[in-house]
Amino acid sequence: MALPNETEQPGVIQIDETKTKEELDLPWNVIVHNDPINLMSYVTMVFMRVFGYPRTKAEKHMLEVHNKGRSLVWSGGREQAEHYVHQLHTYQLLATMEKSKE
Amino acid sequence: MTNLRVQSIDDKHIRISGIASVLAVMLREMPEILEMRDAPDARERLFPKPTRANDKINKEWQQMIGPELRHLFVSAGETLTRDLTALTADQEDAEAYQVEFPIEHVRAWMSALNQARLILGEIHQIEETDMNRADLNPQDPRHLAALRIHLLGYVLQSFVELEIGDEPKDSI
Repeated sequence: MALPNETEQPGVIQIDETKTKEELDLPWNVIVHNDPINLMSYVTMVFMRVFGYPRTKAEKHMLEVHNKGRSLVWSGGREQAEHYVHQLHTYQLLATMEKSKE
Repeated sequence: MTNLRVQSIDDKHIRISGIASVLAVMLREMPEILEMRDAPDARERLFPKPTRANDKINKEWQQMIGPELRHLFVSAGETLTRDLTALTADQEDAEAYQVEFPIEHVRAWMSALNQARLILGEIHQIEETDMNRADLNPQDPRHLAALRIHLLGYVLQSFVELEIGDEPKDSI
């Protein structure tokens, strides 16, 4: 951890901003991949259930999977990303997580 | 097939009616299809890796999550198999069948139907082009598999409509 730094203002020290463990983990991307079998409507329903997305947003991601082969459906901390991938696997969607390159 | 209906008959039970005899046969074959979930390709599809390149996470995942997923999938198949023993002649259509089961079994039915579709897809290496063919020949094993996937998808679609309303039937 960084030590406090003295500032020009007497009696005031500056403490360097530190990052929490979760911030250091951010972000992990949850990706859903295309497959030839799953129904479009089923995938929409899964996105609504797992992420609580409204139907229009769920359909947007479903169409992205369909048209582009994959869709980044969620980004955030690793633990939550694992939870979502797990949920998507219980619905038999092809989902992976990857650490964002940004 | 156009008469297939999935509906709540009260707040605790679901009825699927208007099940054509060919679909009834396929539903009865589902336990046999689900038994193939451990064929290598099917296993890889039903129990996918959570990352594309992180071997450590993938290994831990298979140890931690794999057994839980397996239990969930097997249990869903057993629920459907039990419910299907109540498949009887449709009260309104002598040439069709119907089945009633508790509403809390809906998720198990959806899981089992989708498992069966995915297993057939992997075992027969079904591609997007197979699913989009209009000239499916039942004498061809691949075509027959695609046909079965479509028919089981028809039932699954009916459940999805019950859950979220009408949607176009298609695959992603």
